[in-house]
Amino acid sequence: MIETVKEQVRKLLDSGQIQGFLGLLEKNGHISPHLFTDPEELDRLNLGERDKPGDARYPLTKYLIKIARAHPDKKFGILVRGCDERALKTLYNYNQLNPGQVVPVGIACPEELARECECRQPYPEECVAGEKSEGCASVSVDRLDELELSERFDYWTEQYAKCIKCYGCRDVCPVCFCNECTLASEDLVQTKTFPTETPLFHLVRAAHMAGRCIDCGLCEQACPVGIPLRTLYKKIYNIMDEELDYQTGYSEEKSPLNAI
Amino acid sequence: MTNSVQEIEDADCIFIIGSNTTSSHPLIATRVYRAKEKGAKVIVADPRRIHIADIADVAVQQNLGTDVALLNGMMKVILDNNWQDQTFINERTEGFEEFTKAVQGFSVEKAAELTGISTEDITAMAEIYAKSDKASILYCMGITQHTTGVDNVKALANLAMLTGNLGKESAGVNPLRGQNNVQGACDMGGLPNVFTGYQKVTDEALHDKMSKAWSSGKFPSRVGLTIPEMISGIEEGSVHGLYVLGENPVVSDPDSNHVTKALEKIDFLVVQDIFLTPTAELADVVLPGASFAEKDGTFTNTERRVMRVRKAIDPPGEAKPDWEIIQELSSKFGYAMHYESPREIMEEIAAVTPSYGGISYARLEGPGLQWPCPDQGHPGTPYLHKDKFARGKGLFHAVEFIPPAESIDDDYPLWLTTGRNFSHYHTGTMTRLSPTLVCEYSENFMEVSPEDARELDLSQGEQVSVASRRGEIGVRVQITPRLKKGTVFIPFHYVESNVNKLTNPAMDPIARIPEYKVCAVKVEKNP
Repeated sequence: MIETVKEQVRKLLDSGQIQGFLGLLEKNGHISPHLFTDPEELDRLNLGERDKPGDARYPLTKYLIKIARAHPDKKFGILVRGCDERALKTLYNYNQLNPGQVVPVGIACPEELARECECRQPYPEECVAGEKSEGCASVSVDRLDELELSERFDYWTEQYAKCIKCYGCRDVCPVCFCNECTLASEDLVQTKTFPTETPLFHLVRAAHMAGRCIDCGLCEQACPVGIPLRTLYKKIYNIMDEELDYQTGYSEEKSPLNAI
Repeated sequence: MTNSVQEIEDADCIFIIGSNTTSSHPLIATRVYRAKEKGAKVIVADPRRIHIADIADVAVQQNLGTDVALLNGMMKVILDNNWQDQTFINERTEGFEEFTKAVQGFSVEKAAELTGISTEDITAMAEIYAKSDKASILYCMGITQHTTGVDNVKALANLAMLTGNLGKESAGVNPLRGQNNVQGACDMGGLPNVFTGYQKVTDEALHDKMSKAWSSGKFPSRVGLTIPEMISGIEEGSVHGLYVLGENPVVSDPDSNHVTKALEKIDFLVVQDIFLTPTAELADVVLPGASFAEKDGTFTNTERRVMRVRKAIDPPGEAKPDWEIIQELSSKFGYAMHYESPREIMEEIAAVTPSYGGISYARLEGPGLQWPCPDQGHPGTPYLHKDKFARGKGLFHAVEFIPPAESIDDDYPLWLTTGRNFSHYHTGTMTRLSPTLVCEYSENFMEVSPEDARELDLSQGEQVSVASRRGEIGVRVQITPRLKKGTVFIPFHYVESNVNKLTNPAMDPIARIPEYKVCAVKVEKNP
């Protein structure tokens, strides 16, 4: 699969359709994000596989915002999975990226990864490589929804209480792009507190994820205390879908919450 | 650490003492949370009700400086109930008889009286720890920064040996090292008594090897000075020059008024750092060093893992990596160094340091290697003392309780302990330049219990003056149930309100570490 991706990227670079390709590079025994400008470097391209598919991940779309702004006259290729494509769409909707500057190179996630992520659509619309596998339902949300309200309340209170306010969830988030972050605004969320104000910190963030979160799961992977953030935001997706008929990451428009 | 970070999550019991783990070592705390989810018991002993105490099975708040009493109390319970691992004791240790005598002379009631912890809690802690198959101790500066720091550590080692919790996976005695490379700095002999890899300078048998490697003449085999001895040496006139690298003693050393006076008096002061620290402001010469992102080399982390660090950007202006500065200085002093790169230095380290013997840049791609790694074929050592202790048999020490050097009295009626808050690092020379972190804690504060606040008529956010026998600072009041009555807490990140003006420079007689964690103070409302 990786050879097909390399071939595609090489074509794009050689033909001058893109001036750089944002992907992952294997170097010194580590996998890190890299902007490929020289086709020679493609030997070391990696699809984010340290031990298994997709276990080495970075918010590439977030990095692309900075790169594209620094070079407004250039076009960039980017490695995308299903979730990255949803991120791109959302970033286009909110004018954070200009689609004219972006050439996605899509790969589909294997079934095992899709199941682990409970991913609704584990592939981008156009795939260069990989077999498209079935989308999965959000079982983790259903499991918690089955609990009594008081049990559910206790569960989440316990989870939030572990927070060490590292802001890792925000910093890694591909769709957290606000210039001023509410989480750092003293009028809304107390500073000088440790542990953080429960549940305000997490509920403020969750509210802001409505119509934004594209279910990539990077926040949960980054969380040093293991708060199941992905499950929380999946629930938010479901609410947006059921109540406002808005499919975050699939719709071509800003969320209806932005009309208020 | 005797064991590895990853192993913590498979422990059956984690005993945290003198470590505010979530705040100061969040990625270690991650493993504690995971262990808890897998069913591990968690015990937390800290004078403050710290964050991780929320998930503890038993959480206690011992009086300041009473760790030996607490640990001896626990061990008394273990012996009384015959919960010790006698096979381990017989096969792997010595000195058990004498140790037993010392502990038998102690009582749980006495431990309770000294520590302020109930006998029930001490018994529960002993039972959980002793009956767990794999029990891991995590400790930090709350254990070491005492006049009895060495005793505290010995007592922890006793507890682990008593229950057979050394030399196996997910157990051990695990000091959490603070800086990314403090382990590495110690490994490289950044201490007055050792060469690299803890080879003693007093061992003349090593001198041949070292002088050959460094093509130099004879070495002195006497031990050098510790930091407090350097400061007193300046005052006595025996120390005339000081070269400070990456350290900010004006803020970080105890009794800081005294330190500042000494550094103002010294004939010649050189400071090498990445920012102009308060110590650098006193210097005759400042040498700009390179930050982590501006140099190549290795860091050795808390689990003895040697890892590569790679230069991402050039150092700004005249700044240079430390090794280049040292090389140039040394050459000017008449001992010419000709290292081409950090790699070449690592080759020398491996050649003269048995525990680093098998470590080379070629093997450091990826996750790195944990020492001891004596030869090229050795895979590294995830946990120490597997079949045998470094000294052969594990030595029990009879450790008696000794109270802290300073005690409260009518003039200074409150106990003060110091530490860190979650958003800042040490003397704040780096973190206080970060807007995100400053937004959390921009200025200093004193944590005080609601009871003491009521008694002293203090209100939230009020500016007060705090004084010890050595100095006085102004600070804001933060009333919190985290503290118990009689004890206040102030972090040491703030030069303008430097709590180390108050702290006691009294030292542990062996390790020469000052008693940052206990002194007596008074709090006064501002007129």
